[in-house]
Amino acid sequence: MAALLEVQSVSKRFGGLQALSNVGFTVAEGEIVGIIGPNGAGKTTLFNVVTGVYPPDSGRVVFRGADVTGAAPHRICKLGAARTFQISKPFADLTVLQTARIGALNRIRDMAGATVKALEVLELMGLAGKRDELGRTLTVIERKRLEMARALATQPSLLLLDEVAAGLRPNEIQEMIALVRSIAAGGVSVLIIEHVLEAVMRLSGRIVVLNYGEVIAEGRPDELVDDPRVIEAYLGEAYSLA
Amino acid sequence: MAVAVLVAAAALPLVAGQHLLTAMIVALHAAFMALAWNVAAGYAGQFSLGHSLFYGIGAYASTVLYLRLGLTPWAGMFAGAALAGVVGVLLALGVYRYNVYGIFFALVTLGAAEVAKGLADNWDFIKGPVGILLTMQYAPGDFFFLRREPYYFVALAMLVAMILISLVLERSPLGQYFLAVREDEQAAEASGVNTYRYKTIAIGLSAALTAFAGSFYAQFYLYISPETVFVFEPQLTMMLGTMVGGAGTAFGPVIGAMLFSGLGEALRNLPFLENTRQVVIGSKMVYAVLLIVVLIYLPGGLITLGRRRA
Amino acid sequence: MIGLDAILQTCLSGLFMGSVYALIAIGFTLVFGVTNIVNFAHGHLVMGAMFVTYLLFKTANVDPYVSLIVVLPLFFALGALLYTVVIQRIVEAPHSAHMMVTLGLLIFFENVANFFFGGDLRGITTTYTTSSLIVGDISIPIARLGAAAVSLAAVIVLALFLHRTSLGKAIRASANNREGAALVGIDVGRVYLIAFSLGTAAAGLAGAVIMPFSLVSPFVGGEFILKAFVIAVLGGLGSVAGALIGGLLIGFVEALSSLYISASLGNAIVFAILIAVLLYRPWGIFGQARV
Repeated sequence: MAALLEVQSVSKRFGGLQALSNVGFTVAEGEIVGIIGPNGAGKTTLFNVVTGVYPPDSGRVVFRGADVTGAAPHRICKLGAARTFQISKPFADLTVLQTARIGALNRIRDMAGATVKALEVLELMGLAGKRDELGRTLTVIERKRLEMARALATQPSLLLLDEVAAGLRPNEIQEMIALVRSIAAGGVSVLIIEHVLEAVMRLSGRIVVLNYGEVIAEGRPDELVDDPRVIEAYLGEAYSLA
Repeated sequence: MAVAVLVAAAALPLVAGQHLLTAMIVALHAAFMALAWNVAAGYAGQFSLGHSLFYGIGAYASTVLYLRLGLTPWAGMFAGAALAGVVGVLLALGVYRYNVYGIFFALVTLGAAEVAKGLADNWDFIKGPVGILLTMQYAPGDFFFLRREPYYFVALAMLVAMILISLVLERSPLGQYFLAVREDEQAAEASGVNTYRYKTIAIGLSAALTAFAGSFYAQFYLYISPETVFVFEPQLTMMLGTMVGGAGTAFGPVIGAMLFSGLGEALRNLPFLENTRQVVIGSKMVYAVLLIVVLIYLPGGLITLGRRRA
Repeated sequence: MIGLDAILQTCLSGLFMGSVYALIAIGFTLVFGVTNIVNFAHGHLVMGAMFVTYLLFKTANVDPYVSLIVVLPLFFALGALLYTVVIQRIVEAPHSAHMMVTLGLLIFFENVANFFFGGDLRGITTTYTTSSLIVGDISIPIARLGAAAVSLAAVIVLALFLHRTSLGKAIRASANNREGAALVGIDVGRVYLIAFSLGTAAAGLAGAVIMPFSLVSPFVGGEFILKAFVIAVLGGLGSVAGALIGGLLIGFVEALSSLYISASLGNAIVFAILIAVLLYRPWGIFGQARV
């Protein structure tokens, strides 16, 4: 399978803090790759570097064969990588439909076509009934879904999800897992940061473990569960699949 | 309903006296300006305090082209708009590279307008602080009329066109990009919107449209100078009208601007009131209080009383 | 060839003018630094104080410096009133709301002044309005010297207040980190109230002290606030010392421009400086760069 995303030796420093240190991994087409690690491990920083929010100090980001290191976020979205934000950023004074449609306009030039696509995605995310509600009126979970809808509407080949399961009740987590699975089944590769281990363990074919900005382990979920480095850094939670 | 209003508006000159007509012209002109500013500030969230820059460019461009080259201001208006648009784009390209937002962006634009005023005051080619006087004459081919009625129809036509432009913009992809930029630039970027490009387009478009209002001002009042067009007054009219009426809508700025400007002008000319000066000043005090009250309790503007905004 | 005397005199008057600007800007920058609110009406508050000072002089022959006994508490109270009735309701709102609401206050004050006093320029003549110290070939107007001294004193007093008193520290804490301050028990609402009132009182101070050598009309507020913007940004929004240095710099630039080119071009230069600072170093001379 072709490598969709290649992160090569990426490092990023903020003042005195080395947020990322020589981080490297790949995401192949058709994969769901999870990123886990304790708080402050650099996971969101990694997303920001990959999606162009800021450039790395060193290293490269290669997406679909093209070097996109330091490219503007909108360009990376155009190339096919869409992300959600950890703290969702809804368009407060726009309707749910308008929000999804802005994502759809990424690929579809006309309003009618974009509207159709937007409604399609909203249907998938279960938000079609709220199409005329303003972003500010949505609950936390609805906002997360809208984040995902907006990202999906851009028709990405790689979807970067940042802690979409956070704050969800157990039944909602199951729904989210099913949702991400169906998105992946639709042909979108997924890179998912997650704290809710049940979600990331169940979804990911492969997991990359970060700690203090470094990759300390990488492998299949069942391999990592017994890895002493991972356990030492992080695991030991209530959720366990062993 | 819109057709009825339009018909009534077109018929107004039949019944209105010169004073009322003048008040209406001022109101229509103010509404046009407000909608022009609304393109950048209401739709795209770029709160500029320096739009008098573009207003002045419009006024001077059409006037100078007429006086020096004999170009009819009907065409000169468009030249002025093009020039203002270019200036706006250049300004935006330069400024947005530096990630200025909010009050800082507002102050940069204010600074730009003040710089323009200072430069205009020292530029002999446009007669500096003395200003330029245009002759009152009847020359319809050159946008000069003796009676108020033609100016009224021009202002009305301009406003209708501007409203249509706003409505089309609201329903277009460009308009959606503007809204995304206004709401959350980072999220917009992540969704594929080139915020740098669209902020620049918003400023350029808004600048060009504002310039038309400046040209109209020149042809109606027949005197322009840095002290009349590059000062804060036009900016104030645009802002007050838009913010009170409802930024980010096609009709909010119209309502707000016509309310403030039209009433103000009408009050000034009421024939049967003594102590007009006190009344005018008193009414401005009332407006100021109204403005504050609306801004605090109806942040979406007066139009939210009717419906939800775009 | 312009003589050295003329240049020195110009520099001096530039510095004096600058200290006046600084005095006007101090209250403005303090309010912005603490509450993050841009008070467009600040210049009009200065205008109001000038009128009050004028009235007290004309009706009761009260010297402007003496009238401070009335003006300072009066304007502190006015600031508190404005904050309670208007400002505190928009503290959480976006900057555009701050601008519009304070613009509304500006329009209100301007028309109140116009209503009662009319549009003409007025001035007062105190015993020292025309007196000057002569040093060699340089003349130093006493009234302006007084204003400059007050300007410096105000900066020192405010700095001491902000750094040595617990209320001052509470103010600085709230300015630095609003939530953090609230979490450690600081009543941020009260801090904002006091900061705004202090800023208004500073406007009162400025108005009273410049009256001996200035003319007032309802329309002078506009020029004041424009200068205040430039100086506050140049010096660093929130920095009182920065307002002083920034004021002196701008006064200097203006005076030299008037001498060598023209006043209006000088104005253009001042605003070009504003733009440059906003683009390249928006935190000003004394501010701190934030990521």
